[in-house]
Amino acid sequence: MRIQSIDGFVARCEARGVEREVSLFLMQDETLAPGDFVMVHVGYAIQKVTPEEARSSWELFDLALAAEND
Amino acid sequence: MGADAATWLARIRALDLPPRIRIMNVCGGHERAITLAGLRAALPPGVELIPGPGCPVCVCPEEDVYEAIQLARHEDLVLLAFGDMLRVPVNLPRREIRTLEQARAAGADVRPIASPREAVRIARAEPRRQVVFFAAGFETTMAPVAAMLLEGIPDNLSLLLSGRLTWPAVAMLLDSGRPGFDALVAPGHVSAVMGAEEWGFVVERHGLPVAVAGFTPVSLLAAFYSVLRQWVEGRRFLDNCYREVVHPGGNAAARRQLRTAFEVTDANWRGVGRIQASGFALRPALAAADARRRFPSHADTSRKRVGQMPQGCDCARVVLGQIYPNECRIYGRPCTPRTPVGPCMVSDEGACRIWWSGGVRERRERAAG
Ligand code: SF4
Repeated sequence: MRIQSIDGFVARCEARGVEREVSLFLMQDETLAPGDFVMVHVGYAIQKVTPEEARSSWELFDLALAAEND
Repeated sequence: MGADAATWLARIRALDLPPRIRIMNVCGGHERAITLAGLRAALPPGVELIPGPGCPVCVCPEEDVYEAIQLARHEDLVLLAFGDMLRVPVNLPRREIRTLEQARAAGADVRPIASPREAVRIARAEPRRQVVFFAAGFETTMAPVAAMLLEGIPDNLSLLLSGRLTWPAVAMLLDSGRPGFDALVAPGHVSAVMGAEEWGFVVERHGLPVAVAGFTPVSLLAAFYSVLRQWVEGRRFLDNCYREVVHPGGNAAARRQLRTAFEVTDANWRGVGRIQASGFALRPALAAADARRRFPSHADTSRKRVGQMPQGCDCARVVLGQIYPNECRIYGRPCTPRTPVGPCMVSDEGACRIWWSGGVRERRERAAG
C-alpha cells in the first residue's frame, strides 16, 4: 500500500481507493515517508517495497477475490 | 527480473529435465497463485508442484481450538480470532458445539478480527470485560502479534497463542528420510520477515535446491526455473527470486521483536504431532498476558481423537505433501468450502480450499508410488 501520512507508528495508507490505518511498529529500522510503498500483513507493514511490486501484489489479490466470488 | 512468464516457461522447457521432479511449496499464498494461474498445467508433465505445510490454521492444535471454544462458552469474555479460524471443527460428536462459529450462534461473544490492532481496540472499548485473542499463525503473523504486545496492551486483553515456525516442519520432513520432494520453493512473506538465510539448511544439510519466490506467476516461474536448473546442472544453492521484498537478514526490527516477545518451544501440529522448536511461547516477562494462566484450563483429554484431524479427513497427509488435496477420500463429497470436514477446506490458506476455489472438482485415486 502507498503511505499517505505518518503519525508516530501509525500510517494512513491507500491502495486502489481503499484507505487503511497501518502500524509501522515493525518498520523501526527503516526511514519511511509519504509516497513510499509497504507490504501490509494483518494491519502491519512488514517490508518496504517498490511501486511495481505493490502493484503486482494487488493484482494477485484481485484475482483471489474474483475466484472467491464466483 | 525482466523476463515475462512465457520466457520463463520457454527456459524451463529447454532444460533437460528428469522424468519426474517434485517441487514443494510451504505457503498458502504460493499455492493460491500456482492454482489460480494454472501453473501446473503450463509446466512440463514430469514437474510436480506439491503443496506442503503452508497453512497455520490447518495445523493449529485441535486442543487449542477446543480450549478457545470452551473459554468462549464458559467464561464471561470476548473471544477474538482471525476469521478463518471460526469454522474449524474440533473432534466432538455432531450434536455438540464443534466450532467457534457454533459457539457464537449459541450466544458466546466470539468475534472475527483481521488484525491484532483490532484486538487492542476492542479491549480498550470494553475495559470492564476480559478479552482473549486466539492468535494462530506463522512468522509473518506472529511478528505483528509481537509488535502488538511490545507496543503495550490493555490489562483486560490476553492471548491464547498458537504461533508456529515454518522451517522446522520442512526440517522434520527432510529428517524423516522420505521428504516427498526434490526441491523447495521457500515462502516469500516469511522470508521477508525472517530472511532467506533461514532456508540455507535445505541446501547445506540435505543437498536440495531452494529458491525464495514471490506471489506472481513470474516470480514463481523464476523460482521453478532456478531449482530445476540447479537440479539439472548438479549445482545447489539458495536462490532469491523475490529480491524486491526479501532482503538479506529479512526485517531485523521484526525479528528482534519476535525474539523479545516469544521464546521458541517444541509444539504440537494438528494431525502431525510434536515438532521440535517449532512453536512460539510468551516470554516470562509477558506471562501476565497469557490466557492459559489467566483462566482455568478447559482441556478434556478424555475426548475421542484429541489432537487429531476429523474422522475421515486426510488433512494431515495433505499438509505433509504426501497426497494431493483431491486424493482425500472425501474431497468434494461431502467436504466442500460450504460443508467443510477438515481445516484444509476451511482456511483460505488450506490446499483443499484453494484447489476447490481454483475449479478442481473431481476426486482422484492416489496413483501408486
Ligand atoms: S478434502 Fe476435506 S476432509 Fe479431505 S483432507 Fe481436505 S479438508 Fe480434510
